[in-house]
Formats: sequence, C-alpha cells, structure tokens
Amino acid sequence: MKKYLCLGCGFSYDEARGLPEHGITPGTPWADIPDDWICPDCGTPKSGFEMVEIPYWSRT
Amino acid sequence: MSVSFVLRAGERGYARLVSTGVNATYVAGHPDGVITRHSSFNFHEYQSGLAGFGSIRVFGDEVFSPGGTGYNMHPHHNFIICAFVLGGALTHVNTIGKVDELRAGDYYVFSAGAGGKHAELNIGQEDTRIIYLWVLPSQLLAPPSYLRGRFDAKANANRFACLIGNEPGALPIGQTLKVTRLVTGRNSTPVYRPSPARGVYAFVVEGEARIGDIILGSGDSMALTGEDRIEIAARSGTDLLLVETAL
Repeated sequence: MKKYLCLGCGFSYDEARGLPEHGITPGTPWADIPDDWICPDCGTPKSGFEMVEIPYWSRT
Repeated sequence: MSVSFVLRAGERGYARLVSTGVNATYVAGHPDGVITRHSSFNFHEYQSGLAGFGSIRVFGDEVFSPGGTGYNMHPHHNFIICAFVLGGALTHVNTIGKVDELRAGDYYVFSAGAGGKHAELNIGQEDTRIIYLWVLPSQLLAPPSYLRGRFDAKANANRFACLIGNEPGALPIGQTLKVTRLVTGRNSTPVYRPSPARGVYAFVVEGEARIGDIILGSGDSMALTGEDRIEIAARSGTDLLLVETAL
C-alpha cells in the first residue's frame, strides 16, 4: 500500500485508507483511480502527485 | 566539485497571475493586482523543468503588487512552507490562529501537517518580494505549526547566518534541512561546510557569487552534492540563500 502527495498543496492519498468521503474505498490502488481525477482540495491533476515513503506522525 | 545542475534566472518557470478571470478567487487584490512567480522547480502549470532537489519541491521567487494582492485563504497539508520576505511587507493569516506582519528580513516556517489554510497578502504601498520554499516533511499529518524569525543583515554581514535548522537562534524544522543566508557588504569568500551526504541548493537573490568556476548572478542558482567544503566568492552587495537538504 503506497502513499501519494499532491505537489500543488500537499494533500495526501493513502491506498490503504482510500478517500471514503470522496467515494474512493479503502484499499483502492492508485492505478485504479481514473486519470482525470483531481486533487479534492486544489484541483491538481492526478499526474501532479508524487509517490512518497513518509511515515505518519506519531506522538512518540 | 559535483554539480547537480545550474539554473539561470531566465530558465526558471514564469507565471503572471492576475486577480481577475480564472484565478479571481485564488489571487487576492484589486482588479489590477498582479503576482509574478519565478519557479526553480516544477509548480502548477510549469511542468517542464526540474522536479525538485532532495526534499525541496518548490522554490518560488515571487512579487506581489500593492493594494491587497496575494493569495486568498487556501488549503494545505503536509508541506513545510517557508517564506522569506526580501522587500515590502507581507501579511500572513493562518488557521492555526496567527495573523502576522512580516517585513524585509522576516521569515516564517509554516508546517501544514494534518491540515491548515493560509492567506498571503501585500496590503502595503510597495511591491512585496518573497521567496517561498516548500519542503517535504519527515512525517505526514503532523500537528500544524507556525514559527517566525528575523534575519538581521547588519549583525550578520559577510558571514553565514543559519535561519532554519538545528542551530542556536535558528527556527527548528521537522526535516533534515538547513537554510542559511549570506549578505555581503564587501567582497567575501566564506567557506560553507555541509554535513556529510547532503546536497546544497544555492540561490543568488541579488549580486554575484562564484562557486568553483561557475558565476551566478541575480536569480541564478545551482545545486551541489558530495561536498564537505564549498567556497563561495561573493561580491560586495550579494544576497545568497543556501538550502542544505538530505538527498
């Protein structure tokens, strides 16, 4: 499961979490998201996302 | 010397944003308001250049015209957004609850983390010039934060001053990154010593600097890797930013 970051605003997509509030169910691979999908926050096209290997913040 | 790239001022991406038409909600200001933006790396419509360097993704050299021009409140996540005010004044408003007025020499580190919005406005009577630096975070969705600092050009003349990074007097940042500024009042040749395995992006705000056999003028920049010693021959009146990043 990979994570992708919008280079227009920093919005992150996590394949494991999906985006249920935007109709993308958890576990949806990035490749299965349509090419005309855009960042829900800033409208950057899907091609303007970068795969990142950055862990989530934790208090410890 | 290992040079990753040299980017001349005129080779950068260029955007001219007006406060009417398609950008009417994004760009603040009266109908004559204009933002000019020179991007060292791919950003928004500019996608034919360099993707970034280390954890740097955005390096924008921007000018806001007077009269309220800038960016209306808009959302961010994750990116650590640093702004360095070079001239004029900047009003920064963010959803952490901060309203800040920054003038030449002032800078901030706004970590958008789990989500935050900000507005950037020039409500002054002269142009505002700002460098915007966006850095990938070391952790996603961290609590948002805002810190601001001030660079004193007189007290730091002709020597490196660390603005951001793990040094006394500098603003801390949640990333392996250091931002250093050099302003010269005479010809100077200081030596910058990066930590091992780091890259350095050098940007000339004003003036002229020579690194190795490469001469950089205003708006020119270059990136270096594999150096433990970078001698910078800066002419009098030079203003230089160095961004040291993990690779």
